Amino acid sequence: MSAADVAAPVRPGRAGRPAPVPPRRPAGRWKAAAGWAAVLAVTALTLAPGIGVEVDLGAMARNWRNGADKIVALLQPDWSFFPRTVEPLLETLQMAVIATAVAGVVALPLSLWAARTTNPHRALRGTVRAVLNVVRAVPDLLYASVLVAMVGVGALPGILALVLFDVGIVVKLVSEQLEAADTGALEAARAAGGTQLQVNRSVAVPDMMPGFWNQLLYVLELNVRASSVLGLVGAGGMGLLIDAVRSFYRYDQLSLIILEILVVVLVLEAVSSAARRRLT
Amino acid sequence: MTAPAAPAATRPGRGAPPVGAVVPPPRPSRLALRALSAAVVVVVVAAFWSVDISWGRLADLPSEVVRYLWLMFSAPDWSALPEALRQTWRSVAMAWLGTVLGILVATPLSLLAARGHGPAPVRGALRLVFAVIRAVPEIIIAIVILSVTGLTPLTGALALAVNGVGTLGKWGYEAIEGIGRGPVEAVRAAGGSGAHVLRWGVWPEVLPAFGSFWLYRFEINVRSSAVLGLIGVGGIGDMLTSYTQYRQWSTVGVLLIVVVVVTVAIDAASGALRRRIMEGARARAVQP
Amino acid sequence: MSVGLRAASGGAAAADSAAAALPAPWPVRMRDVVVRYPNGVTALDGVSLDLEPGEMVAVVGLSGSGKSSMIRTLNGLVPVTSGTVEVGGHDVTAARGRALRALRGEVGMIFQSFNLAGRASVLQNVLVGRVAHAPTWRTLLGAHTAQDRAVAYEALDRVGMLDRAWHRAAHLSGGQQQRVAIARALAQQPRAVLADEPVASLDPPTAHGVMSDLRRVNRELGITVVVNLHLLDLAREYGTRLIGLRAGQVVYDGAAADASDRVFEDIYGRSIRPDDVLGS
Repeated sequence: MSAADVAAPVRPGRAGRPAPVPPRRPAGRWKAAAGWAAVLAVTALTLAPGIGVEVDLGAMARNWRNGADKIVALLQPDWSFFPRTVEPLLETLQMAVIATAVAGVVALPLSLWAARTTNPHRALRGTVRAVLNVVRAVPDLLYASVLVAMVGVGALPGILALVLFDVGIVVKLVSEQLEAADTGALEAARAAGGTQLQVNRSVAVPDMMPGFWNQLLYVLELNVRASSVLGLVGAGGMGLLIDAVRSFYRYDQLSLIILEILVVVLVLEAVSSAARRRLT
Repeated sequence: MTAPAAPAATRPGRGAPPVGAVVPPPRPSRLALRALSAAVVVVVVAAFWSVDISWGRLADLPSEVVRYLWLMFSAPDWSALPEALRQTWRSVAMAWLGTVLGILVATPLSLLAARGHGPAPVRGALRLVFAVIRAVPEIIIAIVILSVTGLTPLTGALALAVNGVGTLGKWGYEAIEGIGRGPVEAVRAAGGSGAHVLRWGVWPEVLPAFGSFWLYRFEINVRSSAVLGLIGVGGIGDMLTSYTQYRQWSTVGVLLIVVVVVTVAIDAASGALRRRIMEGARARAVQP
Repeated sequence: MSVGLRAASGGAAAADSAAAALPAPWPVRMRDVVVRYPNGVTALDGVSLDLEPGEMVAVVGLSGSGKSSMIRTLNGLVPVTSGTVEVGGHDVTAARGRALRALRGEVGMIFQSFNLAGRASVLQNVLVGRVAHAPTWRTLLGAHTAQDRAVAYEALDRVGMLDRAWHRAAHLSGGQQQRVAIARALAQQPRAVLADEPVASLDPPTAHGVMSDLRRVNRELGITVVVNLHLLDLAREYGTRLIGLRAGQVVYDGAAADASDRVFEDIYGRSIRPDDVLGS
């Protein structure tokens, strides 16, 4: 073996065998690079002055003291505010529970209607899905702000907004779950002479129920979180209070409200994850 | 065809119960289930009964819905379209920036929060932080942040980023804990350090899942960015609130159409991309 | 109440004398049946057969020979492209909607993968066999008549699964699940039972248990049984008549007991291999 061989970057094989030549790198790796480049470009565009999210560092520096005061206020909750929060908090919970219950009743048949395995009619299925896609595209707070104009201020528009939002989610998730499930039992019920309704009720429903309850629990959690802010547009619950303390810059009171929402949501999460373990 | 009647006619009759009918086993007690159902019913009924709502207003709802739909969509005021598109872009930019910032912060944190990779006390603290962040609606986060950054789109982006850290962090450590031991052990067996394990054992395994989470989070942020306009940080939500307040329904109709079209389009594009990512991951996993 | 089930609980000896009181088993008549799927595959290529009432027919063939399609034409789960299928004198190919469901209600079916609703109880699964005999509203409310329940209990008793009536179907072993599936078919009080590879997912001892259950259904209740099999020893042992299918055509039709290995080699189009036999 000569010195030149040893110095070669890739050491050749024993007995002077030529170095193995790797197959050529598959084409298409540029795609990943192009993807990252596109992400960078869009990010730059969103930061560009004039057209994107304007970042005014000077203003931030000027506001910094103001912000620090607010943070200090946040860290010192005004406990004396508690009695006034009880009723809105209860209303928030009532709205969440009612909306979940109504959404469950509406979503159960719609889910069966939207799944390929439980509804063979392509046109009917497509209609339900298209409508729900549109329903899902509008955030709950926008529904609430339009519904407040329609039925007036209060918990009712909030509940309606939550129901719309919930039905969209539950039907999507449950119908996907139905389509992913094994169709053997459905075929058996059809072979026994059942109508589509009978097949769905006697076979599809028992199998989907655990998943369905699971999604309802999930939606209940979402509702508690969402209904606490719906009041910002006048749709009842904690949000009305949030709007008030915000306009008076009472961050010490806001802090108490945040704490309460936090406790309620975390308790609910613990309860529902315990229930979920029992379900499966 | 006459078949249907025939089988029905000759079906065995419903006579008296047979002699020596079989005795079914006793039904197991379902006390726990009954108690749980009763509790759920009580909670729901109590909520309905106690809530301060004049349900009579529901009776007007259908006619009101029709009336407002007519106001909004019978003669949409398309002159607002250019401004609506400009504001939509600001909302989407807010959502994008919020997503990117959220990813940058959440990814290292989720690695630290995963069992087997980060130190235990850090892990516990991070998980608590993720849970707390997820419990607070982003609009409240925005209200807190705006004390520093003012009513600007940046506030919205930061609020979305903070909220994103909560969800992305949780999904992230769950995905990392869900991968098999194999790749990690292989790197360790080859003498790799903790950082090597993350880079060569964990990262390639979770990248498709992470990509999918990122896209999904962007979809969520697009929706949320419209909502954040309600407190005045700009974007399509801001525009919607003012036109709703001034009851300019023909413009509100146009804005709603823009929101729906943009959201559905972004969902579809991002959903297609997510499916490709996950299918690609599966195909690679199948290859020997 | 089913006279048939009552007669059977008296034992096999009573079967002959009670046979006259049983609902008459159905014959099957197929004429020039062709099944071609939308993807161009021809599953059945001109099959003509006459199955007598009360026969136990074993249909053998390799996978892809068309036996699964054939058995599904008998209850209309697979529509025929041309030709006619008559079951019990009723034209399956012309039946639609209510008529087809009434026909299916008289024909039980058993599947390779059991096709039970896993999260439903065993009893609920067996009651699926009553759907064609119950009004839709009763199925929807789950308000089964005492009559239907009694039929379900008897069917479960016949396959020795009565003590599992309240168990979840998914918690049972494979053999137990197939027994429940047989009970579901029996709960239809059928005139014929179709079984598509009923033991292909079971281990040898369990497979023999399930096949004996099917034989008892045939012998004690006098019901026509058509069973798809790919194992030659099972076909010889349990069938009274053997039909061989290859490439969608009938290549053998004769007494099962007489079928030699040569016959099977002829049907399979290759020499016999060890995995063509179940053993015991």
